[in-house]
Amino acid sequence: MRRGELRVAILAIEGTNCDQELFEAFRSLGCQPEIVFLKQLEGERSPPSLRRRLSDFQILMLPGGFSAGDYVRAGAVLAARIQSRLGDEMADFIRSGKLVGGICNGFQVLVEMGLLPGGVEARPGPPQAALNTNDSAHFECRPTYCRWDGGNFRPFKDHLPAGTVLYIPSAHGEGKLILSGAHGADLRDLLANGQILFRWTDPDGNPAGYPWNPNGSPGDVAGLTSREGTVFGLMPHPERSFQIYHHPDWMRRPVSSDMGDGRRFFEAMVRYAETHL
Amino acid sequence: MTESLTAPASGPRTNPRGPYFPLRGVRPSVLARNISRARLGFSPPEIDQLSEYFLREGRDPTVLELAGIAQSWSEHCSYKSSRPLLRKHFGSLPPHPRVLGRGDAGVMALGQGRAYALRIESHNHPSAVEPYGGAATGIGGILRDVLAVGARPVALADPLFFGPLDLPADRVPRGMKHPRYLYENVVAGIRDYGNRVGVPTLAGSVTFDPAYLVNPLVNVACVGLLPVDHLIPNRSTQAGERLVLVGGLTGRDGIGGVAFASRELSRRSETESRGAVQLGNPIMKEPLIRACLECIDEGLIRGMKDLGGGGIATCSGELVHAGGLGSQIHLDRVPLREPDLAPWEIWVSESQERMLLSVEPRHLAALLEVFDLHDVPATEVGEVVPGHEERIYFEGDLVGALDLPFRIEAPEAVRPVRRPTASPNPGVIAPVRHPLDRVLRKLLLSPDALSREPVIRLYDHQVQGRTVGTPFAGEPWHPSHADAAILRVDPEGTTGLALAVGSAPFVCALDPLQGGRAVVEEAARNLYAVGARPDAFTNCLNFGNPEDPSVLGSFDAVLEGMADVARSLELAVPSGNVSFYNGGLGSGIPPTPVVLATGILEDFRTAVSSDLKAPGHWLYLLGPTYPDLGGSLYARTYHVRARTVGHYDPQLLRRMGEAILRLGQRRAISSCHDLGEGGLALALAEMAFGGGMGFDVDLGAIPSLPSSVAALSEAGSRWVLEVDPGRADEVEEHLAGLPWTRLGTVTAEGGILREREQKLVELDLGALYGPWRQGLAHISPAHA
Repeated sequence: MRRGELRVAILAIEGTNCDQELFEAFRSLGCQPEIVFLKQLEGERSPPSLRRRLSDFQILMLPGGFSAGDYVRAGAVLAARIQSRLGDEMADFIRSGKLVGGICNGFQVLVEMGLLPGGVEARPGPPQAALNTNDSAHFECRPTYCRWDGGNFRPFKDHLPAGTVLYIPSAHGEGKLILSGAHGADLRDLLANGQILFRWTDPDGNPAGYPWNPNGSPGDVAGLTSREGTVFGLMPHPERSFQIYHHPDWMRRPVSSDMGDGRRFFEAMVRYAETHL
Repeated sequence: MTESLTAPASGPRTNPRGPYFPLRGVRPSVLARNISRARLGFSPPEIDQLSEYFLREGRDPTVLELAGIAQSWSEHCSYKSSRPLLRKHFGSLPPHPRVLGRGDAGVMALGQGRAYALRIESHNHPSAVEPYGGAATGIGGILRDVLAVGARPVALADPLFFGPLDLPADRVPRGMKHPRYLYENVVAGIRDYGNRVGVPTLAGSVTFDPAYLVNPLVNVACVGLLPVDHLIPNRSTQAGERLVLVGGLTGRDGIGGVAFASRELSRRSETESRGAVQLGNPIMKEPLIRACLECIDEGLIRGMKDLGGGGIATCSGELVHAGGLGSQIHLDRVPLREPDLAPWEIWVSESQERMLLSVEPRHLAALLEVFDLHDVPATEVGEVVPGHEERIYFEGDLVGALDLPFRIEAPEAVRPVRRPTASPNPGVIAPVRHPLDRVLRKLLLSPDALSREPVIRLYDHQVQGRTVGTPFAGEPWHPSHADAAILRVDPEGTTGLALAVGSAPFVCALDPLQGGRAVVEEAARNLYAVGARPDAFTNCLNFGNPEDPSVLGSFDAVLEGMADVARSLELAVPSGNVSFYNGGLGSGIPPTPVVLATGILEDFRTAVSSDLKAPGHWLYLLGPTYPDLGGSLYARTYHVRARTVGHYDPQLLRRMGEAILRLGQRRAISSCHDLGEGGLALALAEMAFGGGMGFDVDLGAIPSLPSSVAALSEAGSRWVLEVDPGRADEVEEHLAGLPWTRLGTVTAEGGILREREQKLVELDLGALYGPWRQGLAHISPAHA
């Protein structure tokens, strides 16, 4: 499908607040993004002119923010709402090989829905993971780096060399990945399945603990994919390092290109969608 | 149904929906007592004006009417004490060509059809009583002010002032709260509201001093962006428009908030005024902002105003009166959180997350559809009518009918003003008495100088994706403070909008005229430092009791100083806020004017950061050094009676600032940092921290001052510039005619201050960085 025809749904409810910059990222890559409110995907709950069908899109993104306030558990309310009103349509969307991604709060939603790390076949069932309160016990907005070690994430697979380190900043209070298996068994499984999308590292790509791992996630896990590699979620915000001017240190050195590290993430998604969808 | 408000001659009476308040025929002493018991806050001349009005009307006021008038005539809503002085100083500034609006927020043109809105206000008293909720609703309120002119809020800033964090617990005044508790909860309130609503917090300040023990200051500022043709007036434009109340439900919170804000705090504030503090809900605010902006995009809103102090009463009155019109309002249509609110409570409740829109009837259906999509309640509560009267109904009964010019245009209070006499500067300059290296270590790790990172990291400063200059400077693993934050106005344009706050309470306390200059000066200096030309500022004037002539005298002097700098730099002052009655228990605050200033970078890619870039680079000091230790961090920390303040030359400031801008555009300077608290010594340390480097500087290069004074003076209008020696000739050429001196060089590590050959101080910056960076998180109450 041609890039200009690629439709990206950026799903919003009250409290999602990173939708505009996500829109901007896809727009500047030449796609057709649209901020879609959950209600617009629920048939008669919105007027006919505003109604949308999920199946008309190729990419579904769940943006960051504090959906419904996150007063319960981050992402729990939105996950329950999507599950009950859109669950089957979303399962079909995933089965057809389209991309579903969650950033920060969106990652929390996908984990709450059981789609990560379990995948569409694990649904409906209890979530196999949780994104728990940071070790620091509070929200933190800080520069962070992520390393891609190779794995199933389809847009990166065979395109981005393993070991690549990207600057992708984070801003969250609940990002510590907790898996249900004892003694890291699940973590080993995820690794074996190629489901680790990113690991937190220092700027040189080495594991370094807090604050480079901002939340205390075991194994420095910063993001996951489904086994198929088309459903993915990550705590840091690639839309916040889209331009080099988003990087914290651009004033320290001469700038040769406007492109920020986060842009590579979106480029990969769009290229994948162009060739496979 | 009753359509009449004619009551019996006098005496309390219950009409269908509320009692009358007897005014006529009541003895003045009894009346004054009744008014005071009802906590309406009217002064004796105001009571006379009320009596006169209702005598003419031939009836007594209803309680609802009186409550509405009390809101509008409060100091908080009416600026009755400050208006004459604001007019005298800011009103006499020449008209500014780029000011597009002076409504709930000021609006400035940015060029190419774009504009930005800015506004600051205080939320001091609510935050003193309930710091978490007070600060959160402060953010909520300032967002609405910016939204009310049609702008999308894109940045928040919050200057805060508290008592000392290490105050022994038994020294907290009775009825007050410990500064550590206030500080932590105010910060948490800002964090939880600002982050949830999705607006980055980009600037601010935290100041600790015993003067703020009783009355902390919580100022909140917001900047918004809008296309010029989306600018919405804060007024109804024609009769027939419908008044639509949108947003949160109305409850009993925040009743009497403006009256609470218009008197000093007392031991009883906690118990008496707890109900005057509102409850915030950012998850109603976020879709409210979305829905309002969508309606503006579609041209569905003619006028709008936010509901803040005084609730529907103040908001509806000001909205229609500004359009020269009247209104009919049906209070029973207001959606309630609690079912049993009396009409007067609905009228003045300050429940949060509400806006009032003036909408043409033909747009009503489309507007309601947008709000429905976002699940935000929207209710038509009234209509704009010809004439100047407001008529308030409840279930069909008339419960209030007032002449709007009478209700809204509060009589100005004529109060005595006594200008303070500035104390003469002593002629002799004494060197600093304490050993300089010990002083520097202590100042660097003092609460006012410690890195603000532990606070700033709690605030999202990147959401919305516009932040190209964060509050930090330097390597990601070694951050120091930036002088100003920078927003990229459009994703593909090059215009940058820089934000900086300024305050100088300790200079104001010694000399309010110079202090007023210092405040604007500081913010402008910060903007120049990053390469932005100062454009405008919004001011929050935190003062004590205006009934005290010396408080109003300081106010007068501070305004004069601020206006001086505004005039010299051609800054616009499109909005502001006055907060009087700060203080209590016999102690007042120093005059604390605070500004949020904005600057423009034509090309944000030429921005300069404050962190040192490379060993071997040269360091320059730009600007004249005077022995200004009055109100300095050194004087406050060591309790030194230094009184020398104020050698501000705004014209020189401007010439130097323009030189910095030119050098930045030519990329001829590697870093630039303004000199603030702690003077040259602390500025150099901050620059070195950001770069993870050091410096070797000769204080002897600064003429005719003892080296220790040169290191610690907080004289204004100064910057340190870092220059690649290969660009030095070019830089010096651009600085020709300005006061500059070459101080020394950037080194790999360590901070050396010398006087010619003699080393005075060698700071182990590597060892100091950790304690400086994290110290603020670890100050706890000392044990007495």
